[in-house]
Amino acid sequence: MSEEENRRIYGAAANPQSHGHNYVVEVAIEGEPDPVTGMILDLKRLKDLLEERVLSVYDHRLLNREVAAFENKVPTVENIAIDIWSRLAKDIDATGRARLFSVRVQETDDLAVEYRGER
Amino acid sequence: MTVYLSRRYGFTAAHRLHAPALSDAENRAIYGKCNNPFGHGHDYQVEITVAGEVDPVTGRAVSLDALDALAHREAVEPFRYRNLNEEVAAFRQAVPTTENLALEVDRRLRNAWQDAFPGGNPRLEKIRIWETPRNICEISG
Repeated sequence: MSEEENRRIYGAAANPQSHGHNYVVEVAIEGEPDPVTGMILDLKRLKDLLEERVLSVYDHRLLNREVAAFENKVPTVENIAIDIWSRLAKDIDATGRARLFSVRVQETDDLAVEYRGER
Repeated sequence: MTVYLSRRYGFTAAHRLHAPALSDAENRAIYGKCNNPFGHGHDYQVEITVAGEVDPVTGRAVSLDALDALAHREAVEPFRYRNLNEEVAAFRQAVPTTENLALEVDRRLRNAWQDAFPGGNPRLEKIRIWETPRNICEISG
């Protein structure tokens, strides 16, 4: 799109010098609890997965330049939620009982996007 | 790919919970302090959740400008700084509880939705209204 179209669609968010957010990501998993442990997934395992697959990739990065998913895609909060889903779904499903249910990304207090996959 | 985008708006309004069909004693018993004859105010928050397909070029599921314009027109301005009982037609009969306020906001949004988003994308998924941080009403589907 032209500079003018970009400015019209994204407003101040199209500023060439970029801008930052304190994103908050909420990941929901679903499954039947293990009869012995009472858990569907060890939270430590989940925390490690989030650190390794998401936070280490995104935290304090310029998303447009430093995160591969956004080389050809605009880093809207919609696309961020979808990318985080694709980074987590396979590994979470592979843990056995848990399935990824949703990824919710809060960009500001008044704007959030949730993605629940295509299944 | 369908995503659920939620956007939050706020307005301040006054109301009094009082059902004309009930006696004064019954009203006090049901609504408590909210039945105070002089009314009281809240800082309401309205969250609108839309289900939309992400545009491959813009990466957006909805034009936030269009959503904001619709929300301000139908879910904020009709109530902002109003006495709901006295100044909003919907509450001449219905008691302005959070439930009835949510139903009114939902009705207004649904009536105006087609004009604001003629292509059928995005859909209105649900709304939530906070009367206080711990009193929330949701309408979906």
